[in-house]
Amino acid sequence: MTLTDILDRDLMKIPLQSTTKHALIEELVDVLVQNRHVRNREELLSAVLSREALGSTGLADGIAIPHAKTTAVDTVSVVMGITREPIDFDAQDGKGSQFFFLVLAPEHEASAHIEVLASIARATASPALRRLLAASHSADEVMRLFLD
Amino acid sequence: MTEPFKSILVFLDGSEDSVTAAMAAIAMARRLDANLTAMYVVNTRALQDLVKARIFLDVEEQEYRRDIEGDAQRYLNHVERLGLQKGVHVTPVKTSGTVHTEVKKYLQEKHIDLLVLGGMSEIHSRRDELLSETDRMMRTAPCPVLVVRDNDTIWDMFESLPDQP
Repeated sequence: MTLTDILDRDLMKIPLQSTTKHALIEELVDVLVQNRHVRNREELLSAVLSREALGSTGLADGIAIPHAKTTAVDTVSVVMGITREPIDFDAQDGKGSQFFFLVLAPEHEASAHIEVLASIARATASPALRRLLAASHSADEVMRLFLD
Repeated sequence: MTEPFKSILVFLDGSEDSVTAAMAAIAMARRLDANLTAMYVVNTRALQDLVKARIFLDVEEQEYRRDIEGDAQRYLNHVERLGLQKGVHVTPVKTSGTVHTEVKKYLQEKHIDLLVLGGMSEIHSRRDELLSETDRMMRTAPCPVLVVRDNDTIWDMFESLPDQP
């Protein structure tokens, strides 16, 4: 399973409005809750924040991949969002984060979860793709970039 | 005329499609009286990539590795049971590493003459084509490859085989 297998324009928010780490995670979780009718918002949020407490998922080059295993979802789901400006996400390179991929997976889909995370890491390693993402204004544009 | 395939390998990856491929392989092995091996590769390469990219903490890597090992054993056990049900002995093989590399190595070492794959996901982008493990397996296999599609037909075919007492 790759990112493009499950990327869904309904689970994209461009731009994200939040300017703090906690609010941004909530905003991403809410995109999933609203579009997939997930009932356990607090369980989702708690799973993501618990993982985040172990160490930031803010990577380098503006990428952040908050993720968690949770019983609140039935399938691996990715919510993608971009902020207009980089925000402080405790990234490993000390810089701001701008491109967010929230990955949530049920307990029994470890393989698929790992494949999707690896797929995101590979896709976003491209500086050209990151530049194009930063210039994107809509979910349709982002979908086209990933499907190119 | 000798049977074309005497040693078949079906690749499992935890997807429903790969289980369907196993059902097709069991039916073929029974018809051809061939040896059947089911192989699950724990993708430690992907795990290592995630740690290297600092997406995973060490503690997560260990936890997920345990999860995948458990998944692998469950799927292999399931396919063994399916084989028993139809009177076909399935040899389970669990290994770890880079998926397509491990499969190719096994095919060569064991002189497998047919690789059966399911789970060919749609190629959405040029990037997918480069990264799909299944695609790589298909391209690098040293033997003929059967890609199983149409799950309903395979399920019907499998169910129509008489069970073994």
